Amino acid sequence: MTGAGDAAPAGDPPAGPGAGEDARGFDRRMLEALVCPVTHAPLRYDAERQELVSRTAHLAFPVRNGIPILLVSEAREID
Amino acid sequence: MGGDDGEAAAREGAATHFGFRSVPEGEKAGLVRGVFTSVAARYDLMNDLMSGGVHRLWKDAMMDWLAPRDGQRLLDVAGGTGDIAFRFLRRAPAAAAVVCDMTEAMLAEGRKRAEAARLADRLEWVQGDAMALPFADAGFDVCTISFGIRNVTRPGAALAEAFRVLRPGGRLMVLEFSRVAPEALAWAYDRYSFNVIPAMGRAVTGDRESYQYLVESIRRFPDQERFAAMMRDAGFGLVKYRNLSFGVAALHSGWKL
Repeated sequence: MTGAGDAAPAGDPPAGPGAGEDARGFDRRMLEALVCPVTHAPLRYDAERQELVSRTAHLAFPVRNGIPILLVSEAREID
Repeated sequence: MGGDDGEAAAREGAATHFGFRSVPEGEKAGLVRGVFTSVAARYDLMNDLMSGGVHRLWKDAMMDWLAPRDGQRLLDVAGGTGDIAFRFLRRAPAAAAVVCDMTEAMLAEGRKRAEAARLADRLEWVQGDAMALPFADAGFDVCTISFGIRNVTRPGAALAEAFRVLRPGGRLMVLEFSRVAPEALAWAYDRYSFNVIPAMGRAVTGDRESYQYLVESIRRFPDQERFAAMMRDAGFGLVKYRNLSFGVAALHSGWKL
């Protein structure tokens, strides 16, 4: 995965097993692949609340046990 | 599942089938989630029992036709416990897979299996709706749906979403129960389905109704030609199908050209 000459994205710690995982293993790298199911806009990960926030849809989707729950029926409405 | 939804149903208008029952469209997903939450813990065992282990051959046939390659990115929709994703990764050790399913219990089971199989670091698990996939356009090389699409409220919407998330040149492969053509065989298959499977479900999992839903939902699903037409409607090209076990199951393949 890493090696001499790989350019790490600015601001990230060196990658390694478990890098970027919180509490029950939500991997922040996965965040890059996920979008809001309603608007397809990027999501912001709120580690404290364990939520994926879609500002465009005004929804916050939960992450439970490291599994992102991207169902509108499970999302919390936000301003 | 829900209480009396008569008013909601009237508001929602459209009805669909849940097995042989008619239900308001908006209710189906919740009912399906209820079925799969209930069966999740014994899902793999029940598949083996109901099909005499033949479902493994069907899934292997799917892999043979798919021919997974290293570097490919797979999205396994309604992927549940991960059967297809695991097979894909075993055939292509440097491929990556995302399993998307509507039912948390199925994903949790799948993740346990992945940990046991030591595949955990190449699989991602996402709870999502096949009709509203939480993925950007054109991000996957391959999309699979194995024994999932007949449970989707609007299969056409799932096909459109699969088309959207595939990159140009990407491929969709669907494995699903289908129509048995030879009549004598169809009769025997019906007897087996309706007489044996629900009773087996009750004996093994304590849940007869979920397996009744299973056998009914198979009859409700479009036949081989009709489903191929639906894939073409969604934009897929070179759509072809192959029967498995005389049509008990079928593989449908299409490309995003």
